[in-house]
Amino acid sequence: MAGRKFLTISLLMLNLLSLLPLLTVSFSPDHPTDRRILVLLDDLALKSSHSIFFTSLQFRGFDLDFKLADDPSIAVKRYGQYLYDGLILFSPSTDRFGGSLDLEGVLDFVDSGHDLILAADVSASDLIRSVAAECGVDFDEDPSAMVIDHTGYSVSQIEGDHTLIAADDFVQSDVILGSTKIEAPVLFKGTGHSLNPGNSLALKVLSASSSAYAANPASKLSNPPSLTGTAVSLVSVVQARNNARIIISGSLDLFSNRLFRSAVQKVGSSYKYEKSGNEQFVTELSKWVFHERGHLKAVNLKHNKVEGTEEPSMYRINDDLEFSVEIFEWAGSSWVPYVADDVQVQFYMMSPYVLKTLSTNQKGLYHTSFKVPDAYGVFQFKVEYQRLGYTSLSLSKQIPVRPFRHNEYERFITTAFPYYGASFSMMAGFFIFSIVYLYNK
Amino acid sequence: MLIKDQTSEVDVHLGDADRIFRSIKALSQSDGRWRYSSNNPESSTYAAGIALETVAGLISLASSEIDHSLVATIKNDIMKLFDGVERYDDGACYFDEKFVDAHGHQDPLSASSSVVRGITAFATATEESLNLPGDKIMGLAKFFLGVEIPGSAKDLYHQIDALACLGNSRVSVPLILSLPATVLSVSRKDQLKVRVNTVLGSSAPPLSVKLMQIFSSGSKDASVIDQELKFDPDHAVHVLETLPKNIDVGKYIFSFEISLQDPEHKKRYITGGRTKVPIYITGLIEVNNAEIAVLDSDIGSIEMQKKLDLSGENDVALLANHLQKLRLSFQLTTPSGKAFKPHQAFLKLRHESGVEHIFVVGDSGKKFEIILDFLGLVEKFFYLSGKYDIQLTVGDFVMENSFLRSLGHVELDLPDAPEKAARPPPQLVDSYSRYGPKAEIIHIFRSPEKRPPRELSLAFLGFVLLPFIGFFAGLLYLRVNLKNLPRSTVPATFAFLFHLGIASVLLLYALFWFKLDLFTTLKALGILGIFLMFVGHRTLSHLASVSAKLKSA
Repeated sequence: MAGRKFLTISLLMLNLLSLLPLLTVSFSPDHPTDRRILVLLDDLALKSSHSIFFTSLQFRGFDLDFKLADDPSIAVKRYGQYLYDGLILFSPSTDRFGGSLDLEGVLDFVDSGHDLILAADVSASDLIRSVAAECGVDFDEDPSAMVIDHTGYSVSQIEGDHTLIAADDFVQSDVILGSTKIEAPVLFKGTGHSLNPGNSLALKVLSASSSAYAANPASKLSNPPSLTGTAVSLVSVVQARNNARIIISGSLDLFSNRLFRSAVQKVGSSYKYEKSGNEQFVTELSKWVFHERGHLKAVNLKHNKVEGTEEPSMYRINDDLEFSVEIFEWAGSSWVPYVADDVQVQFYMMSPYVLKTLSTNQKGLYHTSFKVPDAYGVFQFKVEYQRLGYTSLSLSKQIPVRPFRHNEYERFITTAFPYYGASFSMMAGFFIFSIVYLYNK
Repeated sequence: MLIKDQTSEVDVHLGDADRIFRSIKALSQSDGRWRYSSNNPESSTYAAGIALETVAGLISLASSEIDHSLVATIKNDIMKLFDGVERYDDGACYFDEKFVDAHGHQDPLSASSSVVRGITAFATATEESLNLPGDKIMGLAKFFLGVEIPGSAKDLYHQIDALACLGNSRVSVPLILSLPATVLSVSRKDQLKVRVNTVLGSSAPPLSVKLMQIFSSGSKDASVIDQELKFDPDHAVHVLETLPKNIDVGKYIFSFEISLQDPEHKKRYITGGRTKVPIYITGLIEVNNAEIAVLDSDIGSIEMQKKLDLSGENDVALLANHLQKLRLSFQLTTPSGKAFKPHQAFLKLRHESGVEHIFVVGDSGKKFEIILDFLGLVEKFFYLSGKYDIQLTVGDFVMENSFLRSLGHVELDLPDAPEKAARPPPQLVDSYSRYGPKAEIIHIFRSPEKRPPRELSLAFLGFVLLPFIGFFAGLLYLRVNLKNLPRSTVPATFAFLFHLGIASVLLLYALFWFKLDLFTTLKALGILGIFLMFVGHRTLSHLASVSAKLKSA
């Protein structure tokens, strides 16, 4: 009896121990795609009305944890460790989050490198608007304003106020929106926002057309609205310097099953698309925001003299050197070589002395060779790579550069021949003189 | 304790049906809900639905044994349940769950549908009529119809099962009025069509639909119409042949009423009173008399005036300075001839650097006009002179031909900015240029110092060697001779070695210059120097003794 008990206990311990490695398979620098995502909803009916979006995420391997926004058991952090890798806020009208989450908590979550999808809507609460404002996106001051476009709306038999917009002004980026072009326009119904022109981290993914404006459809306009034209952004993304990615959308309906499945006909065009571009747009954007695409890492930064193979500790001016670096891109489950023709290296001391584009061997290895400048000091090899939609790469390696030693200069100079001639003729003259003077009578 | 018995055909004799009934009844709560079991103290609406279905099953199996007073108490419970129904703003009603059990939320869809199933089964089983409030049944029907796309197969089952129960049950059947199109175009002469069906789309009993009132949005008054719609049996729609006379383009709310022709049907069907439907009447708006002009500010005389054709693109070129005004005017008329006020009428001026200014074009009764007085706008324009593109956008919900037209450009000449004027806001940098690769930098090496040409150096070498040659010439001129060379062997050898030593030291110097370093040179020099000293001493002492002998002799 005791033996059996012992056996069962040991089996149990063994099982528990074998689970330990699984606990470490989550977000880590070697495996950048997020795994566990917290979804906060206003209303549980969103779980079924947006089910196509959620099931597509679960199908790609994400662990979604649905909670009501004012659920008191919400916690993203416990004992200093984050419990989730990503956050989806589909709760535009929530004034306060439940549990231990608040505006500071959401911003800390993003600051620590985690991703966020935020959907606002008409009459969004101040909490949601301030989260967006901290991320660099300014929603319209009037909360009841919707984006109206009288020349870009979607033709419909049952909706007469032109607030359901068929937008097709996408950002040109294969990383963010995928390599297949989105043919059908994307249906959008909600508020618009604008980006501060000085913000270099935010980007408009879907902009409104030039005749769009944000106003309350029921009221007359006496002053021009603050958001008009192509400055109105419908969906924006922000990529922070620590590579956290944020999507901010002015419409919750953009993600809903109803708009995924609707047919679209933009006013003024006679072609009716059977299915709107929403599903493709949202799927590609979610792949980008959860780091399944566009996440780069650079390893093996090497330099050496042209003749040698190991890294010297110091270079001399006018030396010829070779430089190489390997760049990989995360493709959802493994690292694949990244191929591009615009990676550049700088040889930098206070300002770049040499800036060269690296040539690639199409397998992720980038190399080049150049001559060390004739300024001496402590230089850095710098690779700073920032492209639209990709994570930013910033690597540097320090190397000193010394001037010529005394014996590395030119040995014999033609200009000095008169001086050589003077010395030697002096020596010869002395020899002849010593003979002649001693034996002359 | 929950027994689901679906076998209504089989004549099952349930002993103790009364006891089972009472035990189920014991689980009911005062607000009409039921508990799942005696162990679980929380109540659930979903459980209420299941309990009602079970009771209905019990009654159908063993109706004779059930006490009718208990049936009456069940009816009271149902009434209490309906008192707790929740409403959305648009009239839809649903039952909500108040607690979370271990399985997560039981969402309103499944809770409401289980209640509907329970009530329908109960009503069918007891064959008594339940006086349920008609508007709540209508609200429940609206709720189930409002679930547009169910999220899972389970949700779809709940929705369709509940609608089917509502559709053909002994509880009152709601009739739904729907319009396939609420946006009608006057220009295309669309007709207003109305459909009346039961919840799952089956046809309604004979009835007539009347358009009772028309409210125009924005104003409180309503015109009373009371016009009956014609029934088209082929398509099963009711059609309004012609719109009432004074309806122009705009946003309206039409109020319909269904009246059943058979009085018997009034008990079975719920019509829902007056149904209000928002309707948009759209049409093509004519734009006439569009013109743009530059006026002199004080006098008001016209400097330059151009007519515009707003159905196509225009490209006018105007010149203005800060003392003048710009005037744009046009007229808008609806298809029935009245003046029209669109929701959006913007004039946008865009500077070549990207700074934009937007103005709302106001209307003065008959026509739309905007006058831009540049004198007052100089500060707003940040004192930027140059080419401004003009764009006019006019649009409205009921305007089928909303347009955005570029009208041309105006060259504005504004005075220079004073020092304290505001700077124009920074413009959005094109993100594609921000992210592109930077220009390559190739280090320009310091060019080596300029050296004189080779020939010049060689020429100077020649000049330097000239004195040497001159020295030789001088020696010859002085008729030097080597008569004093010692004849005898020993002094001659020493003299020879002496001069050899001097030559070797000079050679050592030359070698040191070529490749030796100082250490080896000094070593060799030391050796040679000692040798040279010995040899030189012998030679020079011999020479000195020879000359002393000569002097003394």
